[in-house]
Amino acid sequence: MVSKTEEEQVNRLESQVENGGGGAWEYLCLVRKLKLRRSDKVLKFGLSILNDPKKRSALGPEEWTLYEEVAVAAMDCQCPDVAKEFTKVLQKKFPGSKRVGRLEAMLLEAKGSWAEAEKAYMSLLEDNPLDQIVHKRRAAMAKAQGNIPLAIESLNKYLEIFMADQDAWRELAEIYVSLQMYKQAAFCYEELILSQPTIPLFHLSYADVLYTLGGLENLQTAKKYYASTIDLTGGKNTRALFGICLCTAAIGQLTKGRNKEDKENSQLQSLSAVALEKDYKQRNQSKHSLLTATLKSLKLS
Amino acid sequence: MGVGFVVGVLGVLILSHAAYSTIQYRAMLKITEEEFSGPPINVVVELIAGLMLCMWAALTVPGKFLSILSHSDENRVVALPENLDFMIFNHRGKAIPMGIDAKLK
Repeated sequence: MVSKTEEEQVNRLESQVENGGGGAWEYLCLVRKLKLRRSDKVLKFGLSILNDPKKRSALGPEEWTLYEEVAVAAMDCQCPDVAKEFTKVLQKKFPGSKRVGRLEAMLLEAKGSWAEAEKAYMSLLEDNPLDQIVHKRRAAMAKAQGNIPLAIESLNKYLEIFMADQDAWRELAEIYVSLQMYKQAAFCYEELILSQPTIPLFHLSYADVLYTLGGLENLQTAKKYYASTIDLTGGKNTRALFGICLCTAAIGQLTKGRNKEDKENSQLQSLSAVALEKDYKQRNQSKHSLLTATLKSLKLS
Repeated sequence: MGVGFVVGVLGVLILSHAAYSTIQYRAMLKITEEEFSGPPINVVVELIAGLMLCMWAALTVPGKFLSILSHSDENRVVALPENLDFMIFNHRGKAIPMGIDAKLK
């Protein structure tokens, strides 16, 4: 998970390396630790280290991790030839390694030869039928080919075995959202919230899904989850603040006439509106008029 | 680190000196056959000074305090990691050449 301080640190390091200030290795380590996908930068900075024999030998055994990282980045940047070179180096160093085998199969994927990649993954699975990463790669490959139903099916099968894998739950949730299957997506987000209750972003996505589903009960639950997001972020999440405004407006429209919770609703709405206005005044003065217009239209409806 | 450590050692020394003075005081009381009513004032002052120094050292030497608030900058999650296990290469970047002429020398 990327916290605010870490995000700032990465961005600072990136601009520092970009301007020739050094620190490329620290940057690459941080990107790997935070699992960011900045393939172009990783390829550029990683190559500059690997092409310099002095810097390369200073890394010691970490050198091979860097080779792997840069190889994957090269695949992501559509440079399969470069990735192939790296994989060859690794193959020479670690003959018969599963990890390199996976890398080679990924290389086949990057080139678009799906059948061969599938064959490679199957042979890896024969050796170790419970290799999580290979299972995940096969689901991702189905997605890359545009075969979404197959991807969902294999992910579901995978999750029956490895129920604690959050990344897979998240991927499944995102696929369901992309297919507008919100009920199923909501289930996945519930799992995610259960396994990591302190991450506000899961609460936020869950609330988004519920709000999209609509209906009074769902809207009320969505409002609660937006509120918990605000609680966890200390009110620094603009999307959650907007979510509260929208939810209360929608609930007000649905329960017109029979206002039981009207007081609490309007209080919440005005509080989040005040917070939004303060936030916009502080950070983006030019968009402030837009915000006031939006809030006005919400209150009228 | 260095200063804090020295202060901590000094505090421990002062505390042990206070203990030593108390023992001596008790021995002296036994000789003069008086009742022990409380430690002498200089021992009390030593104890307080030693306590202060030790506390200060214990708070500074191990390092900085970490925030436990969920909304502080260190703990607030602003972005989820990219799902790299499910990374696919069949994306729109394929249509846009990156212009990287990378080569392994």
